[in-house]
Amino acid sequence: MDAALAIPAWRANLATIAALMARAKNELLRVPGAAIPGVLAPTIFFLGLNGVFGALTQLRGFETGSYESYLVPVSMLQGAGFTGAAAGVNLARDIEQGWLDRLLVSPAPRWVLLAGTVLAASARALIPATFVFAMALPLGAAWPGIDGLLVAYLMVAAIAAVAACWGSMLALRFKSQSAAPLMQVGMMGLILLTTAYAPLALLQPWLADVAEINPATEVLEAARQGFVGGVTWAGTWPGLLALTGLLALFGALALREMRRTGV
Amino acid sequence: MSAPAAIAAEGLERAFDDVLAVQGVDLEVAEGEIYGFLGPNGAGKTTMVRMLTTLLLPTGGRATVAGYDIVREARQVRASIGVALQEAALDPLMTGRELIRLQATLQGLPGGEGRQRADDLLERVDLAAAADRRVGTYSGGMQRRLDLAAALVHEPRLLFLDEPTTGLDPVSRKTIWEEVRALNENGTTVFLTTQYLEEADQLADNVGIIDSGRIVAEGTPTALKTELGNPHIRLQLEEGSIAAAEEICARIGPLLPPVDAKTVLVEVEHGAADIPRVVRALDEAGIEVGSLELVRPSLDDVFVAKTGYHLEQDEDESDSEAVAT
Amino acid sequence: MNRLVTNLRVVRALGLRSIRQTFRRPQLMAPIIVFPTMLLAIQTGGAAGAVDLPGFPPVQSFLQFMLAGAMMQSLMLAGNSGGIALAVDIEMGFTDRLFAAPISRYTIVLGRLAGTGALGLLSALWFFAIGLVFGAEIEGGVPGALLAIFLVTMTAMAVGGIGAAIALRTGTASVVQGLFPLVLVVLFLSSAFFPVELMIEPARTIAEYNPFSFISEGVREPIIAGVDATDTAEALLAIAGIVGLGLLLSARALRHRLRVG
Repeated sequence: MDAALAIPAWRANLATIAALMARAKNELLRVPGAAIPGVLAPTIFFLGLNGVFGALTQLRGFETGSYESYLVPVSMLQGAGFTGAAAGVNLARDIEQGWLDRLLVSPAPRWVLLAGTVLAASARALIPATFVFAMALPLGAAWPGIDGLLVAYLMVAAIAAVAACWGSMLALRFKSQSAAPLMQVGMMGLILLTTAYAPLALLQPWLADVAEINPATEVLEAARQGFVGGVTWAGTWPGLLALTGLLALFGALALREMRRTGV
Repeated sequence: MSAPAAIAAEGLERAFDDVLAVQGVDLEVAEGEIYGFLGPNGAGKTTMVRMLTTLLLPTGGRATVAGYDIVREARQVRASIGVALQEAALDPLMTGRELIRLQATLQGLPGGEGRQRADDLLERVDLAAAADRRVGTYSGGMQRRLDLAAALVHEPRLLFLDEPTTGLDPVSRKTIWEEVRALNENGTTVFLTTQYLEEADQLADNVGIIDSGRIVAEGTPTALKTELGNPHIRLQLEEGSIAAAEEICARIGPLLPPVDAKTVLVEVEHGAADIPRVVRALDEAGIEVGSLELVRPSLDDVFVAKTGYHLEQDEDESDSEAVAT
Repeated sequence: MNRLVTNLRVVRALGLRSIRQTFRRPQLMAPIIVFPTMLLAIQTGGAAGAVDLPGFPPVQSFLQFMLAGAMMQSLMLAGNSGGIALAVDIEMGFTDRLFAAPISRYTIVLGRLAGTGALGLLSALWFFAIGLVFGAEIEGGVPGALLAIFLVTMTAMAVGGIGAAIALRTGTASVVQGLFPLVLVVLFLSSAFFPVELMIEPARTIAEYNPFSFISEGVREPIIAGVDATDTAEALLAIAGIVGLGLLLSARALRHRLRVG
């Protein structure tokens, strides 16, 4: 029997993606404490950064007097970055333990195997983002409005997908969980070499230049707009465009590594 | 016109930097055959399996599996085969049932059919009772059986088993053997790698012996052993009757050089079937036999002859059957 | 005496293995040096205006102030990285080989810490070099630099003990790796990156009692002002406390590991 023709290819692919996403949730539900770092870390990161640099809003040039409002989208995106990188670590573990071979030896297309990992990370990233948001509100962060919240969540899910592609690429390249810190570092760099700490005008010249060309700046500003003002299309489309570019780039790199693994 | 081979390799090669793990291997596995790929650790068995199952790109040569080229038609190869690798490749957080269902999904089976197959296979490999327990709680034998079941979920016509019984106890090993035989009786071609002589001897229709990346011998177990010569009968006799016994035995088969003054060695073409002839002839001549042994060449003897060393340390004695008289 | 000598040999052998492992894998090394360097650059680039805030201690530059924080971050990552490496050893079964050997169990942890200590030393040297290249002055001179390097190396090993304990307890590299963000959080809730007096509550109160604040001050003071006996003593006490905690957790984790296999 040619099993690959048992059902239409698109249905088989969707079913495989769904099955891989279902497996990914086991890490959350069946490993005691596994969810805690991913949720707690960005939350505490938010509290820590706010506690450390909160006084910066005293400087002229901040568009808000609330460092909490300024910072909460950064922490939401950081949570997405951590979650996506964790997906890369899990893939590295799967490689080390031979599990990936089981997937590679099946007729499922390589992009389907990658999509399962990436989409699982996108969904999972909404959990820490919600936690951070829920913590930030009573501490003084502004309510962003439904539109602001939806835009922020969209940015979070998409950045998690970018991070998962980055993590997967490194996992497939190095085939070792030891690459985990590198996965984290890459995403932190992407998100922090932006207007994460202060507005563009207050950054040192070199950092301002980098932030201007870093596509993640647009993503962050799009996620931030509800918290510091209001959502507009002009403030949103650059973020969407940046995300499209990032997903295309990192998705292609990850898929290339996946295709190079095995035949 | 003969049926196309299930597996055909021509000059297949794999290099890792300066090391040639597989060197120009030619082999052919017919449909419906159990092919035993025998060799020690590091011989290249797993590298061969990984190339044939499209997990590793060859660096030379070519091969087809189920009629598909392993490089250009890799996806078709994967759709046609079942694989149980040397590392069981199981997820300890999943239950046995979840794992087989996932495998069914990966193979493109519809949901309902996948679930039914999973239930049937778990029953078949005697894991129904443990099906909803996490794989991490399974013993080694249970994990192997689960891995085998997962490889069968889509009823492949060609099955790759990479050292399926390594590390298992004798009972678990026997269970796997029975399953492999049953699959083969239903028409499944099996490519089996092993470092156990007995496993190759018991299961394989054809055996390929690999050493340092090359095939050094290939054939049926019987043919390989026969190549070393016919079996012989070793007779322990009274010293005074040696000459007479030699004269009688020489009529049955060629004599081999004796190992001591009380032994006669006679080569017999038909193995155990020739024992009654020898016993009857000596009895009619009034010659009393102290003991009689049929000594056959073993696969280990074949391995030693081809490689210069024993595959298994404990099996350095030829296969022998003592027949006390 | 024989046993002590044997244990020391084992620690040395495992320590050399740990150091070789670390330096043979660039992907391990890079985050311990690259990420804190990156964060140093980002924070000095993004928050440099802080030196103008009323109450900020007198410093030559924000970079001079931040060097200690970068070193602290690097050593924390080194400790976490050591924990990950040990957890990978557990997952791969390598520690079973060690447990089955006639060696003291503690040598397994101590050997790992040797590698972590080497990384701590390297990071201290690296950030001093970065600081000097970009114009930061070390007010305490060579003695001040040596003191800071010593404190950083000792702290790296102390933190490594905690990482090793977590690895032994969980046996899972992904869990240890998941603590990486928490490592940064502990630092943010200290005076590693900002003066305690200018932090916002409740971070300020937490930082006042955080042992890593005492260590940060002990490392920073020789750089921005000069060697101070009180700051140094407080840093050493804090390190001793972390070492004690690490030993306690490691002992319990080792017993747990041997119980569950």
